[in-house]
Amino acid sequence: MHPTTPSPAPAPRGVALLFPGQGAQQPLMAVGLYHGHPPFRRLVDEVFEVWGAEGAALRADWLSGSPAANPDGVSRAQPLLFAVDWALGRMVLDWGVRPAALLGHSVGEVAAATLAGVFTLEEAAGLMADRVAHIESAPAGGMLAVQATAAEMTPYLHDDVVVGAVNAPRQVVLAGSEAPLAVSEARLRAAGFTCRRTRALSPFHSPALAPAALAALPALSRLPLRAPGLPLHSAYTPGPLTPAQAADPRFWAGQPAAPVLFGPALDALLGTGELLLLEAGPGQGLTALAKRHPAVGAGGSAAQGLLPARARGDATDLRTLRTAVERLLAGGWLAHDPLPAPAGTVRTRPSTQPEAHQPASRQDCERDRPGPVTGPRRL
Amino acid sequence: MSDARATVTELTVEDLTRIMRESAGEDESIDLDGDILDSAFTDLGYDSLALLETTGRIARDYGVELSDDILDGIETPREFLTAVNQSLAAA
Repeated sequence: MHPTTPSPAPAPRGVALLFPGQGAQQPLMAVGLYHGHPPFRRLVDEVFEVWGAEGAALRADWLSGSPAANPDGVSRAQPLLFAVDWALGRMVLDWGVRPAALLGHSVGEVAAATLAGVFTLEEAAGLMADRVAHIESAPAGGMLAVQATAAEMTPYLHDDVVVGAVNAPRQVVLAGSEAPLAVSEARLRAAGFTCRRTRALSPFHSPALAPAALAALPALSRLPLRAPGLPLHSAYTPGPLTPAQAADPRFWAGQPAAPVLFGPALDALLGTGELLLLEAGPGQGLTALAKRHPAVGAGGSAAQGLLPARARGDATDLRTLRTAVERLLAGGWLAHDPLPAPAGTVRTRPSTQPEAHQPASRQDCERDRPGPVTGPRRL
Repeated sequence: MSDARATVTELTVEDLTRIMRESAGEDESIDLDGDILDSAFTDLGYDSLALLETTGRIARDYGVELSDDILDGIETPREFLTAVNQSLAAA
């Protein structure tokens, strides 16, 4: 059982969903939830169905636990991350949670944008398939996480090696073609920097991927890109996304080759008010980053993963989700418990909760949200 | 004040907490008060890279190297201490 972290501070005033990207994928990620929680399974299956026969093969490979294809390769990692991120986010929205913001890291931003209504699920799934096809034929490369500031990396950038992501004040990710990246890595290790390869086989968020990324532009230009219906934040701009930015096909096409400024985006997001950050995706990498943020560690905000840090494909998934649900219930973000009671345990809260229990401050977040304010979306 | 040397035969939770604090930046917010033994590292703000930084300091101070495979399976300070102390005992 994962220990829960009781928060002595007053409940944050809003819930924001964070969606992880490339590097967060793990074998068996969310598989325990797929087998143990039918509402999640139905949502993930909805994504696989859009991909047809390829989706069915991808799902079988994912569920097998011993994938035939490299789980870190673009054709596996990218669509699975999108599917898991989107399904988790959709599930939370279906519970009736009204998020104050959505923020994705890398491909997580596509999942966030889909939930915000910029793309339909079918359009996003098509974009993902198109993107994967182009990147698969692009030059190989990689990503290297370094415990350092972006400024400290300047002497180590050469050829197409760039700072592909700024995750925190002292955590950056270098990206580039394999050979020059290996040179940078050797020099960084020799200089005493803590480095770790990110699970990626392509040079995401570096110029090496620009031609492949822009190949998705024609298809994107044909889509009726819609203004976000939920507050959508971008890790590329970084900050809240305007309707004009969301409607620009070049903005979406360029993302696989553009730097991810998640740290600055998180600064901007947490600057909007006290938030409960829910990580809707595999692992707890974004949760860990958020926990170090002064607004979370010392301030009134909090961070919580919906899935465990390490995917085991078992009941750990549902137990971690239970911890997150208890937190949402305690903060008044959920009126009713959306999960079945764990077998053999006694409920720690009444099965019904008066609406009056909800703090008045919740109204602040609901005001800006379109659509009905009651009743989760039913499939 | 802990006196970490290569001759130390056990890493205590106090040692680990101190090293974890040292590996965090001044502008970062880390709360390691209370019983952290069974907390998930991610809940404490330590992702795989931050844990690697902590491990690097322990390698330097205690002469114990943990492989990436071992590190990948570690979720809590208790598991981390067990792995380090098994290595120390075997040395």
